[in-house]
Amino acid sequence: MENYEINQRNFEEEFTISPNGFLFDHVSGLTYTLNKTGLFILRRIGEKKNASEIVMEITEKFEVSQERANVDFQEFLVQAKEFGVL
Amino acid sequence: MTVQKEYYEKPIIVRHTVGLTNKFGRNPASTPMKMIDGYQISKLIENFGSPLYVVSEATLKRKYKDLKRAFESRYPNVQISYSFKTNYLSGICAVLQNEGAFAEVVSIFEYEIAQRLNFKGDKIIFNGPDKSKSSLELAVANKSVINVDSFEEIYLLEEIAKERNEEIEIGVRLNMELNYPPWSRFGFNYENGQAYEAIKRAELNGLLKVVGLMVHAGTYVDDVQVYQKMALKYVEFYRIIHERLGITLKYLDIGGGFATINTLHQSWLPATQTCPGFDDYAEAICPILLNGITQLGVNPPKLFMEPGRALVDEAMHLITSVISTKRLSTGEKGIVVDAGINLLSSNQWYRYEMQVTQECGTMVENTNVYGNLCMNIDILRNAVPLPSLRRGDSIIIKNVGAYNFSQSLQFIQFRPAIVMIRFDGKVELIRKREDTNYLLQLESVPQDLKK
Ligand SMILES: Cc1ncc(COP(=O)(O)O)c(C=O)c1O
Repeated sequence: MENYEINQRNFEEEFTISPNGFLFDHVSGLTYTLNKTGLFILRRIGEKKNASEIVMEITEKFEVSQERANVDFQEFLVQAKEFGVL
Repeated sequence: MTVQKEYYEKPIIVRHTVGLTNKFGRNPASTPMKMIDGYQISKLIENFGSPLYVVSEATLKRKYKDLKRAFESRYPNVQISYSFKTNYLSGICAVLQNEGAFAEVVSIFEYEIAQRLNFKGDKIIFNGPDKSKSSLELAVANKSVINVDSFEEIYLLEEIAKERNEEIEIGVRLNMELNYPPWSRFGFNYENGQAYEAIKRAELNGLLKVVGLMVHAGTYVDDVQVYQKMALKYVEFYRIIHERLGITLKYLDIGGGFATINTLHQSWLPATQTCPGFDDYAEAICPILLNGITQLGVNPPKLFMEPGRALVDEAMHLITSVISTKRLSTGEKGIVVDAGINLLSSNQWYRYEMQVTQECGTMVENTNVYGNLCMNIDILRNAVPLPSLRRGDSIIIKNVGAYNFSQSLQFIQFRPAIVMIRFDGKVELIRKREDTNYLLQLESVPQDLKK
């Protein structure tokens, strides 16, 4: 599994994330909503985990195959990058 | 020890845009509709495949009874005649027949469906612009109600009357200024005197006798004033032909056209707020007709009505399953489902309500729903608020009973099976899924080209 390339932002300083998935970006002033898996992923990216670690954690916690989790993870990254969150 | 894992939702992030969030909390679009008439939708798909049209017998019966009650409580002699073209699935026609409906048909094909269902000849109303001589002969022999659309039909019926050596009773279709756009190409115009001339002409040779008038104002007429106007003009016209031509009518036919809870694309408000009820239509029509006609000193003729949409629209749904999910280059979310616009022709008028049929999480995102036709125009709806769906999840497209099946095209894919959830809760297949043999049975390859 390839790792992801992102423009790693400083999560601690630049974002406020509420436990139910509300995200405020202090830099852009924009707000977002994440579902629970989206939030799960974003938190792990913030912890600087690599792609295979994150996908593995997803499959451990949720009822999903590794293949599916990986595809969805990549798609999620595309979307988050496009928004400038990553 | 095995750990129970959590339900997996496809991860999403949605950017907030002004105007998208609201104060109502959980979006109704994420609330699954799991059952139709108490029957599990997932079971239906398991047993009959996807996509699947599902008919509710209970809804058909309820609509019929509601309509009948609304009019019968305001007019002494009412007969509902179901407009077959709206959805001529035999199973649906049979349910309405059992409730007491007549058949309103506009082609020999529809006439023959009614015959196969054993509608008695005099319980069939034969309308429409294309009646061949042989179809008119059949209708005359069966004593069906015939509403003439043109002078040519008057001449044809005169020929038939001569051949049979008997007088034939007919109705005359009128068109009148009621709404925009007027349906002026059917029948004879009321305002310019053509309708009066047609009646005079029809009775001229003593071969035909005019016993009925018919008007159809249009379809999805959600303004009851249109029917009020129709009733007023009917009374006025009846007065004229009664006084001048000595005509006494056996029936007045107000056509169909009542609206349903589906919302039109151009409408701002949801149709659930704007669609008149059956009582509103009945109240607009019946008192005017009854008072006006009584004042003429004649008995109120039978009131025929020819509803289509109003009876079946809400009695059929389309279930379709997700094939794939897309993130478009524009950032928009898309899903591809296994039903195309060939199964949903009224999509061009209606903003169909779509709902998931299983739990998919509570967060919704505007999603474009694409069909499976491999054509760029195959868009079922843009920007439907839907939760995050995965391949195999299904959605229900609601209230698709009117015109979608009868106007469905076989194109690229087989048209789906159709089941009916019976009044007693059982499920019956009322149309099989198409297959290659069925579709190719009318074709042949020239002998010398065969391999
Ligand atoms: C003559 C006639 N009667 C009845 C109908 C049924 O109309 P609706 O489905 O709007 O009730 C139609 C449909 O256009 C029609 O042409």
